Amino acid sequence: MFAFIVRRVAQALIVMFVISIIGFGIKYSFGDPVREMVGINVSAAEREAYRDQLGLNDPILVQWVRFVKKAVHGDLGRSFFYRKPATEVILKKAPATLELVFASALLVIFLSVPIGIYAAVKPRSWLARLFMGASIVGVSIPVFLTALLLIYVFAVELHWLPSYGRGPTSLLFPGWESNFTSWKAFRHIILPSIALSSIMLPLFIRLIRAEMVEVLQTEYVKFAHAKGLNPTRVLMVHAFKNTLLPVITVGGVQLGIMIAYTILTETVFQWQGMGFMFIEAVERSDTALLVAYLVFVGVLFVIVNTVVDVIYGLVNPMVRVSGRK
Amino acid sequence: MWQKFKESYFWYSFRRDPVAVGSFIVLLILITMAVLAPVFASQNPYDGSAIDLMDAETPPMWTPDGMDAFWLGTDAQGRDIWSTILYGTRISLLIGLGAVALQSFLGIIVGLTAGYKGGRVDSFLMRVADVQLSFSSYMVAIFFGAILQAALGVARYADVAVPFLIFVIGFSEWPQYARTVRASVLAEKKKEYVEAARVIGLRPMRIMFRHILPNTLTPVLVISTVQVANAVMSEAALSFLGLGMPVNQPSLGSLIKSGFAYFMSGSWWITLFPGLVLVLLVLSINLLGDWLRDFLNPKLYKD
Amino acid sequence: MKRLLTVLALAAVLAFAAAPASAKTLRLAVDADPVSLDPHVQLSGGMLQYSHLVFDPLVRWNQDMGFDPRLATSWERIDDKTMRFHLRKGVKFHSGNEFTAKDVAWTLDRLKKSIDYKGLYEVFEPAVVVDDYTVDLKTKVPYPLLINMATYLFPMDSKFYSGKDENGEPKDKIGKTSPSFANTHASGTGPFTVAEREQGVKMVFKANPNYWTDRGNIEEIDMRPIKNEATRVASILSSDVDFIMPVPPQDYDRLDAADNVDLITMPGTRVIMFQLNQERNKAFKNPKVREAIVYATNNPGIVKKILKGRGTAAAQQSPKGYQGHDANLKPRYDLKKAKALMKEAGYADGFEATMIAPNNRYVKDEQIAQAFVSMMARIGIKVNLKTMPKAQYWDQFDARAADIQMIGWHSDTEDSANFTEYLAVCPNKDTGAGQYNSGEYCNPEVDKLVALANSETDTAKRKAQLQKIEQILNAEAAFVPLHWQDLSWAGGKNLENAREIVNVMNYPYFGDLVMK
Repeated sequence: MFAFIVRRVAQALIVMFVISIIGFGIKYSFGDPVREMVGINVSAAEREAYRDQLGLNDPILVQWVRFVKKAVHGDLGRSFFYRKPATEVILKKAPATLELVFASALLVIFLSVPIGIYAAVKPRSWLARLFMGASIVGVSIPVFLTALLLIYVFAVELHWLPSYGRGPTSLLFPGWESNFTSWKAFRHIILPSIALSSIMLPLFIRLIRAEMVEVLQTEYVKFAHAKGLNPTRVLMVHAFKNTLLPVITVGGVQLGIMIAYTILTETVFQWQGMGFMFIEAVERSDTALLVAYLVFVGVLFVIVNTVVDVIYGLVNPMVRVSGRK
Repeated sequence: MWQKFKESYFWYSFRRDPVAVGSFIVLLILITMAVLAPVFASQNPYDGSAIDLMDAETPPMWTPDGMDAFWLGTDAQGRDIWSTILYGTRISLLIGLGAVALQSFLGIIVGLTAGYKGGRVDSFLMRVADVQLSFSSYMVAIFFGAILQAALGVARYADVAVPFLIFVIGFSEWPQYARTVRASVLAEKKKEYVEAARVIGLRPMRIMFRHILPNTLTPVLVISTVQVANAVMSEAALSFLGLGMPVNQPSLGSLIKSGFAYFMSGSWWITLFPGLVLVLLVLSINLLGDWLRDFLNPKLYKD
Repeated sequence: MKRLLTVLALAAVLAFAAAPASAKTLRLAVDADPVSLDPHVQLSGGMLQYSHLVFDPLVRWNQDMGFDPRLATSWERIDDKTMRFHLRKGVKFHSGNEFTAKDVAWTLDRLKKSIDYKGLYEVFEPAVVVDDYTVDLKTKVPYPLLINMATYLFPMDSKFYSGKDENGEPKDKIGKTSPSFANTHASGTGPFTVAEREQGVKMVFKANPNYWTDRGNIEEIDMRPIKNEATRVASILSSDVDFIMPVPPQDYDRLDAADNVDLITMPGTRVIMFQLNQERNKAFKNPKVREAIVYATNNPGIVKKILKGRGTAAAQQSPKGYQGHDANLKPRYDLKKAKALMKEAGYADGFEATMIAPNNRYVKDEQIAQAFVSMMARIGIKVNLKTMPKAQYWDQFDARAADIQMIGWHSDTEDSANFTEYLAVCPNKDTGAGQYNSGEYCNPEVDKLVALANSETDTAKRKAQLQKIEQILNAEAAFVPLHWQDLSWAGGKNLENAREIVNVMNYPYFGDLVMK
């Protein structure tokens, strides 16, 4: 296990290394940050001088080496717009995104598992058909239409829930503004998290059902039934455990994707998280923040994927994470 | 040949499933309309001289201010919504299917290789996938867009927009396939039939493609249907950032997007009708995909 | 659908539930909040709006394009190059320091160090302090716009900004991208002080209890950026905020019809145009082709349909009220004439051209560009349009990446010559002249006239020179003029004088606002 972790950390470093190279490669495609910082009447010569001062005119390799040197000490550069260290900006916005993903993940897990199993066990029941029908319709509606629909019905028609922003958040612990500390703030997270889970949920229901149906056909489940074991126990322990493998793989990837790309949901609901920050940074060509964001997301991915692989190994001992040499 | 097809199990099980037949018909109609767009459309919405700004934001025919010439109304530029839906569906379908074909092709190859070979090859390919996944299609588009612009200049963009978008969306989302396929391969690899194939000395390529691949297609199909929808949406999102279809050749997605600002202000038809068509399109693809999955997974039919 | 519209308005009700609606709190929703507390960090509309809240200028523009005294009570020209300002006595900064002529001189020095302002103040000599309440502003050459520039001079508290901060940096440092004392601390003489700020999320201003003059009755301003247009509009329709700016054109009619909201629009001074690059596309070298394009452009139609009538179709750069504005120049839409001109020029079959435009810079910029492409199709010009966000646009613009490029221009000096200097004089990389003239139009006579006008202090003569420029540009179809976009605001009915506090510069003077 230890060797596995060490290797994964090494890999993570390489991934970050590569991402930082690519990040630097593309940062000029986002536009000139100086352009966004100065008024339009500022002369080309002045802008050039300012770019010199910021080191933006140095050869890209020099800039990159400078970046890596600082990154080793945990400094990912300074956001041009916020005038703060990029990591500080990202960490300030991260709780919003993580809470949103957390709420969506809860929704997905607590709904998809029972529904998926039920639909597999009783495929012919009307309820199962309803769930499957609803899930296929759900998966066919683009997130932005779902979000619009939610806002229209629950915020506009019924006035039940707020339609945008994080509302009156309060400190969960220093550095973490939370929506889970009061009902007033919690109401703000409901619609965005439903919207975010609207694509994942049907996908998981369908996946769990499909895997479950397959497992139920296997000999060992039939044998377990034949042996007269408690049917619920057979279902949960023998059958469900074996569906977890693909579910975890897909789930891990999707979780990573949710964290990184809540962009669309955050934009529609103006949720002040990392996705919203990313879009704004693109608009302002705040390239320092963009590169930091890329590296940060890359790290998140590696962490999530590592955790997934570890769980994968626990669930399925046939896959040895350490790899026998 | 036809006779043989008619007697096949494929045709039999298809005919017996009304949902599959229904969605197939809907999809067929949509595809026909899209392919024959110039025939069904009352104007060519991509031809500037055919549209008139003065017709802009005309509501649908049956509303008090509607005009007979535009039965579904017009958008903010005066394009006939009906005609634009037809032309836009054509482009969206092309991009969606093209991108999914590309991403599944890349993803399956990488996933199979990684899962089957294991070891260093596996961890290398999966780390590549990590890197790729952490760059969303926005960034891939910005990156390649910049290269393309440097190579061709902004002028030629309109001519290469469609293949460019297929490439960008296809290239940015293959890791989902790769990871899914790899996971299935890992599970399949330990099964007796693979061991058996190896023992009798079949070449790895043959084992991978002829024996393992067919058994990993279930999750691939589950993903594919979603991915077509995602590809269409990615295209819309890219259009918004100025990286998608040229604005005067709207696709379904960009038409919805462009109507968004007007939706709240009363011109609901610009978003609603293309939105309905998009949902219908994706839904019928999904339903067909569902049926196909059940069909390809004959184990389900044993009981 | 009517119902949907009304109820959509309530979408944001609960979002603002937290802000208690005390009677004299102005809840303000803007598209973006100020980027800094330091007025010299950026020359932009948003920063100037902020400056008018926390600082006071020497003089300020009124609705009739005249000047109102603020910290300067009167002023007079002493000679060609000098203007004397008499300052208000007994004014205190937020810090408690007395305001004197020294602060004016100090602020001018600092302006000359700011990247954004140094160009505008290039022509100024350091100010001369005559006594505590008298200061002379001097220019290197005779400069007709000296008083215009005094509107940008918001005296800062020189004592407050002197010394070192806790990081050992001088407190007067202008931190464009780095932290600085001035970025997070402010002391001006203005009607409000900054009480709370979370960048990009909210900003709270409190009334300055020691303000030097009568003011409105706003005790507190709760400013929040709401980027999304529809949400911003919904928030005022549901009375969750008292004032929004700007208003998107598609919602003008809806806000006009609402019982609880006053829509305020005003002809703006930002001109929008397309430049036709004569170096890239040889066809544009032919004045007949350029003229044909102007004739084929239905800019009154664009104003009517895309801007919903809230704009003024243009045939020149200078808006009404500017010295160079010539009322005889009228929009020239005439398709027949355009086709005839194309034929005369030898392009009866048309030609192809490329075009770029931003998609998030000007009001409905992308829509306008698309409409133009359709209009060009009618005279056989096939235009290949690419739109992009402004962050990427200006690089392409500078590189002259397409034959036709869109630009909007607001004159920072509120004067006609500024348009011509940036947009129409012969481009020269070394001197920086014609920096935004991507049409590469060049007429030495125009250059000569601008140079003359820039040092002409006789208003009548200057007017004639500037109008002559507009006539030449119009006759030669130097560019395709589109319109001056309207400014727009919306206020709740509880605001008594919202109409009086706005102006064509788009700096609402919230200090004067009275609320029921």
